[in-house]
Amino acid sequence: NTSMCWEINVKDYVCTHDIEGCAGCWGSFQEMPASTFAQARAAEINAMLKAVTQKSSNSLVFQTLPRHMRRRAMSHNIKRLPRRLREIARKEAEKAVHQKKEHSKNKCRKARRRHVNLVVEFNRRQKKNIWLETHIWHAKRFHMVKKWGYCLGDRPTTKSYRACYRAMTKHCLLQDLSYYCCLELNGKEEELLKVLARMCSIDTGPTFAAVPCLSGRLQGSLVLYRADRYPEDVLGPITFIWKPKDGSGIPYETRQLWIWTHPSLKQDILTELKAVFQCSEPVETCSPEPIVTLLQEEKQTDVAMSVSKKRKREDHEGEKAVPVKKIIGDGTRVPLQSYCWTSQTTGVVISDLTMEILRYRLIGPLSHCVLTEALKTASVQTEMADAETELNNWWVENCKNSEKVSLHQRQEAIFELLQGISSPSEIAAGTILGLTVGDPRVNLPKKRSKAMPNPEKYQGRDLHRSWSCAQWKPLSNHTDDPDNEKVRQLLLEGVPVECAHSFIWDQTICKNVTENKIPEQDLNHMRGELLVPGSQLDLGPRESKIPILLVQQPGKVAGEDRPGWGSGWDIYLPKGWGMAFWIPFVYRGARVGGLQEGLKHSEYKRTPHVPNDFPDCPAGIQFAKELENILLEKFKRRPPAKRANYVKLGTLAPFLCPWGQLTKDWEVRNKTQEESVVTSSADSKSCATESQVPCDLKPGLMIEDSQGDMMEEMTKIQNLCKEDGAATSSGFFVLRSRKLLKQLSAWCRPTCGKGQRARPASKLGQKEMTEDALLPIFKCYPQVLVWVSLSLLRKGSPELHAMICIPTQEDYLQLNKDQLFCGPQEPKHSDIFKHKILKLKERKKNNRKALESGASDALEAKAVEEPKELILGLWPDPLPDVTSHCSRILLGFVTQGDFSLAAGCGEALGFVNLTGLLHMLSSQPADKKGLVLLRTPASLQYRFARLNIEV
Amino acid sequence: MAEPAPPAEELALRRRLPPRLPRRPGDVYVNMQTDFRAQLSRCRKLLGPGGGCAEIWIHGLGLAIHRAINIALQLQAAGAGALRLAPSTSTVELADGLEPPGHPDGRPPLARARNNSAIHIRVCRAPPTP
Repeated sequence: NTSMCWEINVKDYVCTHDIEGCAGCWGSFQEMPASTFAQARAAEINAMLKAVTQKSSNSLVFQTLPRHMRRRAMSHNIKRLPRRLREIARKEAEKAVHQKKEHSKNKCRKARRRHVNLVVEFNRRQKKNIWLETHIWHAKRFHMVKKWGYCLGDRPTTKSYRACYRAMTKHCLLQDLSYYCCLELNGKEEELLKVLARMCSIDTGPTFAAVPCLSGRLQGSLVLYRADRYPEDVLGPITFIWKPKDGSGIPYETRQLWIWTHPSLKQDILTELKAVFQCSEPVETCSPEPIVTLLQEEKQTDVAMSVSKKRKREDHEGEKAVPVKKIIGDGTRVPLQSYCWTSQTTGVVISDLTMEILRYRLIGPLSHCVLTEALKTASVQTEMADAETELNNWWVENCKNSEKVSLHQRQEAIFELLQGISSPSEIAAGTILGLTVGDPRVNLPKKRSKAMPNPEKYQGRDLHRSWSCAQWKPLSNHTDDPDNEKVRQLLLEGVPVECAHSFIWDQTICKNVTENKIPEQDLNHMRGELLVPGSQLDLGPRESKIPILLVQQPGKVAGEDRPGWGSGWDIYLPKGWGMAFWIPFVYRGARVGGLQEGLKHSEYKRTPHVPNDFPDCPAGIQFAKELENILLEKFKRRPPAKRANYVKLGTLAPFLCPWGQLTKDWEVRNKTQEESVVTSSADSKSCATESQVPCDLKPGLMIEDSQGDMMEEMTKIQNLCKEDGAATSSGFFVLRSRKLLKQLSAWCRPTCGKGQRARPASKLGQKEMTEDALLPIFKCYPQVLVWVSLSLLRKGSPELHAMICIPTQEDYLQLNKDQLFCGPQEPKHSDIFKHKILKLKERKKNNRKALESGASDALEAKAVEEPKELILGLWPDPLPDVTSHCSRILLGFVTQGDFSLAAGCGEALGFVNLTGLLHMLSSQPADKKGLVLLRTPASLQYRFARLNIEV
Repeated sequence: MAEPAPPAEELALRRRLPPRLPRRPGDVYVNMQTDFRAQLSRCRKLLGPGGGCAEIWIHGLGLAIHRAINIALQLQAAGAGALRLAPSTSTVELADGLEPPGHPDGRPPLARARNNSAIHIRVCRAPPTP
C-alpha cells in the first residue's frame, strides 16, 4: 500500500493536501483494486510507446534524417534509407500511392492528351469563363485571373516588371485586348447622331459628330452618360469608329458605327442603348447558329460515348466525330439568346459583336517595325484557286474592279511608309488604316528575332555615307525624293479617308475568312513537303487574305513632359485568326504583357484606367466594392497584433474611398464657412459662437480635444451630414467639362517662383481666381470630384487609397526653410474602440459561460442587439467627418499610385473634391500653388506632392 | 449633322515628337531634361577606351542647341587637342497636332507644320598632327 501511494504521489501529484489532510485520501486509495490501476497505467504506456514510434510532423520519414545521412532518390528507393526506417518508409510509400487520384482506365495520360479528349476538355473548361484565342499560349506563361467573365492573363510568370516597361518605352509591348466588347449600330446617320447626342456632351470634348471621326478617318473616344442625364449618371468611357462612307454621296445613307467598351461596362451601355433607340425586338438572323452549336454539343456527347466504348480504328463515324474546335466567340453567346436587336420606329439595328473581332495592342516605338515585318499586304488575285471552295472568292471579286485594286495599292503604299517613321506618336492620334494582308504564318522566321528599324527605309535613300547628318536638312529640300514628300504628307494630313476602308466591316466576308482558314496542321504538312526544307512556303492563290484594321493609339497627350509616351497601334482581326497573328508578332520581338502591364501603361501615361478610375459609374462602384472585400479579407487574415491599427494611424477608410461622404462633408464645411463669413461681417460678437461650429477650417483642433468631446463633436457632424444628405438627393459625380478643367489646371500652376516662366493669367484667356469666379462654381458643382495627377516632390511612393491633404501654413514655412524637409508627421491617434472590443469579448465570454450554466434569455437578447462586429484596427461603419479627422484637412484619395519608372519619382492619380481644391488654391501663396500632402494609409508621415490637372 | 468646329481659342496644339532617325551607337540626342553632367559623361564614355565609337554625333534641337554646343566644346577642351569637331546646322520640320481636330470645311488639317533649328556636331579623333 505504501509503495502504491508513493507511485501515485510521484505520477499524478494527486496529494496536494497537508499531511494531516492526506489521511483522508489515504483511506480511499486503500480501497482501490490493483488490477484496474495497472490496466490504466498499461494504456498510458501504450499511448506513450505509440507516440514515440509515430512521428508527429507532416514530413516524410526520409525528410527527418539529418542532412549527412540523406541520399539521392531516397523517395523512390527504400533501400537507400537506413534499415531501421525502411518499414515506415514502405508504409508511407504505399499510402502515397493510395492517395493519388485514381484515373479511370481510358484516362491514361496518352488518352487524355489525345486531341479529341483535349478539345472536349477545353470546351468544358471554357463554359463558365470565356477563353480568348490566345488563352493556351497565355496560360503557359501568365498568372491567369478570372475577371468579367473571361480568363485573362494578369502578369507574366517571369520576372519582367522592368522589362515590360522598357518594352513600352523603347521596343514593343503586345497585349491581347480581345476581351473588349464591340457594339455595332446600324442605321441612318441622322437618326444615330440625334439619339447619340443625348448620351454625350460637347463639354467633355469631341462627340460622335466630330468631323474627322464622322468621316471615318479617326477613332474617337468619349465618356457616355445616361440619356439626357449629363453631368450625372455616367456610363463609362468608350472608343468609337465610324465606317467610312462609300463615297456615293447620298445624305441618307445607312452608316455603321462600332462602339468599343470595357466588358465591365458593356451591360449598362447595351441596355441604355437599347432603351434609347427603342430597340427591343430581337432579330431572327441569329436563329440558325444556336442549332449549330446544339448539334456540336450533341456530337460532343457522342464522342464522349464513343471514347468510353473504346473507339475502334475502323469506325469512320467515330473518326469524323472529332468535335469541332470551338471558334471562340460562338461560345460567348448563350444559344437561343439574341444578340441583335432592331427598332420598328427608327430602323436602327444594334448588334453585340463581342468576341467577333479580335483586338491586339502594340505599344512602343518599334511597333511599326513589328507590324511591317510581320504583315505582308495581300497580292492581287484574279483567279480562284478552286472552283468548289469559297476561299478568297470575295477577294477575287474585289480584284476585278480596277478602282478597288488601286485603293488597295494606295493602302499598301501607306503601310510601307510606316517603316520610315520612327514612332507612332508622330502620326495623328486615332488614325485609321484599313488593309488586306496575306497569311502571316507563311513568312514566319525560324527563330524569335527582334525587328529593328532599317535605316535604308528612312527618308532619303542615297545617304549611306553620313545619313545622320544629311537627313537633318529641311525636308522640303528633299522634294526630289518622292518618299519624303509622302511621309511629310502622311504626318501633316494623315491617312486619306478612302484608305480607312476595310473589308472587316462586312460580316459575310469576315465569316468567310474565318471559315476558310487553312488549319495549322495542313500548313505544317505543306511545309514538310517543300523540296528544300526550310525554304519559303508559297501558297499561291490558296493563300488566305485577311482584312484587318489598324488604329493608332495616342500615347501621352496631356501634360508637358514625355509627349507621345506609350503610343502604339491597335490591330483588329476577324475571329479565328488570333494565334495566326499572335505568334508572328511575338517572333518579331514583341514582349507580351497582361492586365498589370496595361494598368501600369495607363498609370505612366496618366490616363484614367477602366474601371478603377471611374468611381461614379456602376462598374467603378462594383469594382471598388470587390477591392474592399479582397483587402479586408487580406487584413483579417493576419493576427490582430501583426496588422496595422488604422484607428491609431488616423486612417478612416483604408480599403474603400468614401467619395460620397467626402463630397458631402466638404459641402457642409463650405456652407458653414460661408455662414460664418456672413455673420462675422454682420456682427463680430457672434463670431465667438460660430467658431465653435465643428466644421471649422482650422485643423488640428480635434485631436487635442479630450475623447469625450471628440465623440460628441463627431456625432454632431454626423447629424449635420445626414440632414444634408437628405436634403440633396443626388450623389457625387466627376467633373469632365473641358472648359472648367482647363481653368482649374491654370489655377493649379504656381504663378511665380524660380524655374517657372511668368504666365500672366490674362494671356491664356483665363479668369483670375477671385471670389466672383469661384462662387458660381461652388453653386453649380457642390458635390463634384476632380481627377488629378500628383507627383511627389522628394521622397516617397504613394500607394492605393493614400490620402491627399491640404498643407498648413507652417508646412510651407518649414519647406522654405529646410531643403531636406520631407513632410510633417501625423500625431498618433488613440484607439477609442479597443476598449469596446475588449469589453465585447468579455461579455461574449460571460454569455457563453451563462449559456453553459443555463442561460438567462435577457443576456442572449442583449448579445443579439449588439451592432455589427467590430474589427480591431478599423473604424466601424458610420464614419465621422472624414475631412477634419486628421491634423491636415483631407482633400481626396489616390486611386493609383506607385513609383513611376517613367518619371523617376513617386506618382499618383486620384480624385479630389472640387470645393476643397478651390479653397486650398485660394489660400495658398503664389509660389506654392498646387502643393498638397500625401499620406499612405499605413503611415503617419506626410509627403509633399505637386498636384496637376492635365487636360 | 456634323458638329460645328469649336472656336479657335479652344483648339489646343499638341506638340508631337520630332522626326527621328534610328539610332546608331554613336548618336547622342541632347535634351533639356537630363542633367548636363550625365550627358557629358555619356559622350565621354562613348569616345573613351571601351566605348567602341571612333566618332560620335551630338544632335541638338531648338532649346537644346546651346547645350549640344557646350557638350562638344567641353569634350574638346578635355581632349587636349585629340578631338576634332565638325558642326553642321539644319532645319527640322515639326508637326503640331490640333486638338480637338476639325474644321468646318471638307478636309481638315490634323496638324500644323513648324520649323525649328537643329545642330549636329560630329566629334571624332583627330589624326596625329606631324
